Amino acid sequence: MLELSGVSVDIAGIRVLRGVSLAVPPGGRVALIGRNGAGKTTTLRALMGLLPVREGRVALDGQDATTTPAHHRARLGIGYAPEERRLFGSFSVRENMLLPAEVLRLPRPETARRLEAVFTLLPELRELAPRRAAGLSGGQGKMVALGRALMVGTRAVLLDEPFQGLAPALAMRYAEALARLHQALPEVAILITESNPELLRSLVEATYVIERGEMAPA
Amino acid sequence: MADWFAENGLLLGLALLDGLAYAALVFMVAVGLNLVFGVLRIVNVAHGSLFAIGAYTAASIGIFFASRGLPPWMSYVALVLAAVAVGAVLGPLIEKLLLRRIYGHEDVLQLLVTFALFMILEDVQKLIWGVQPISQDTPLRFLGTVDVPFGEDVIPFTAYQLFVLPGVAVATLLALAWFLRRTLTGRVIVAVTTDKEAATAMGIDAARIMLLTFTFGAGLAALGGALASPTTALVPGVGAQTIVLSFAVVATAGLGQIEGAALTSLLIGLGRSIAVYFAPEFEVVVPYLIMVAVLLVRPQGLFGVIETRRV
Repeated sequence: MLELSGVSVDIAGIRVLRGVSLAVPPGGRVALIGRNGAGKTTTLRALMGLLPVREGRVALDGQDATTTPAHHRARLGIGYAPEERRLFGSFSVRENMLLPAEVLRLPRPETARRLEAVFTLLPELRELAPRRAAGLSGGQGKMVALGRALMVGTRAVLLDEPFQGLAPALAMRYAEALARLHQALPEVAILITESNPELLRSLVEATYVIERGEMAPA
Repeated sequence: MADWFAENGLLLGLALLDGLAYAALVFMVAVGLNLVFGVLRIVNVAHGSLFAIGAYTAASIGIFFASRGLPPWMSYVALVLAAVAVGAVLGPLIEKLLLRRIYGHEDVLQLLVTFALFMILEDVQKLIWGVQPISQDTPLRFLGTVDVPFGEDVIPFTAYQLFVLPGVAVATLLALAWFLRRTLTGRVIVAVTTDKEAATAMGIDAARIMLLTFTFGAGLAALGGALASPTTALVPGVGAQTIVLSFAVVATAGLGQIEGAALTSLLIGLGRSIAVYFAPEFEVVVPYLIMVAVLLVRPQGLFGVIETRRV
């Protein structure tokens, strides 16, 4: 269970999240819906520890993680795919995906097993593996970002607006990949942000709405 | 043309040899500056002071070794010792006490803080070593000179400047390229350089990498200074001169590519030394003329990294 309770966050002295609460149960698929600037990305960054939480608490399976250093959260099994995909451009796709596993010093067989599982789930990544990340298209980059998040996200993956800017056909493929992900790895929770509530209706079990940094009725 | 060579061939040969040796030193400083800026996003004005302190420390250790009657080859150990000591002591001290507090702050503040550090280190250096020139050229004399054939002339040139300086620079370049591509720590450094927040989300302890990179960059600057120390008499001001030149290299090369920094060091080192021999009044401005000429045509620098495609 991934939980935010009453979380407030400031950026450059301005409060951008006010008492945000949400819960993602193990294996649950949850959407966080909001317009641009509503605080979706900030909420995910707070969950990842990339921004300091001013009030409230972040918990993982009931354990307080509010002040857990950001770089420890990958170790806790949370994978993060930021909105702008943010791959390491000079690395190959394979190197991008392996990096988090290497940083966590996972045993080699475990790394190989996870990589194979991700390739099975997202077959196009197998072909892209030797390519330099800098040369990928937006849609390809989003797939790689999802694959990279899954390499460490054994408990949960946080996907920030993955459908943003995807052509309809690619968006369909991405949605299918998420459905396969849930079937193949039912224990992995998915928290996904989006501005259009219609898009995720069939993919998620629960929806939260955020407006101007505060939770709003769904 | 042939007449010109007959008259000036010797000078040109000397300028090229001098330029090569000088470029090697500039590279050692510029590559560290480049790495540190990439990871910490701070332009460290005090980087040249680390070069100067490395030079003075090397000279002091060399003089101490000589006073103990140690063999002359030990003066090379002194150079390495000085670089390691300056990097390992000043690197963490500066990063933890000062730089760590200004990460992510506005550029003006960072410039002021590192400029203040530069002024402090210049005075510390004068306090310790005084303002009288210090010279310790055992490493230079130990290897003697080589007669370099150049056309019909022969140029006697020190083996130290001909082989050791470019050799160390090339070895540093190759080792660094291998380290950044092939080792996990190297790839982690590249990842933090590319995107600190994404790297953190992958489980990378960026604070640790910043400390490591700064210490390493400080060590490289100190090694540059240590290597330079036998070739010149050390006087206050050597740090300022170095940093300004390596800024020119980093700006001309663009950020990110260490091979680019090497080629640009060569370009600027040769340009400067050709000016020294043929138009000494332009010595100081030639590196900046090269920089301005390059930046007018390619604002991202000669080897600036291409932006990732967005769509």
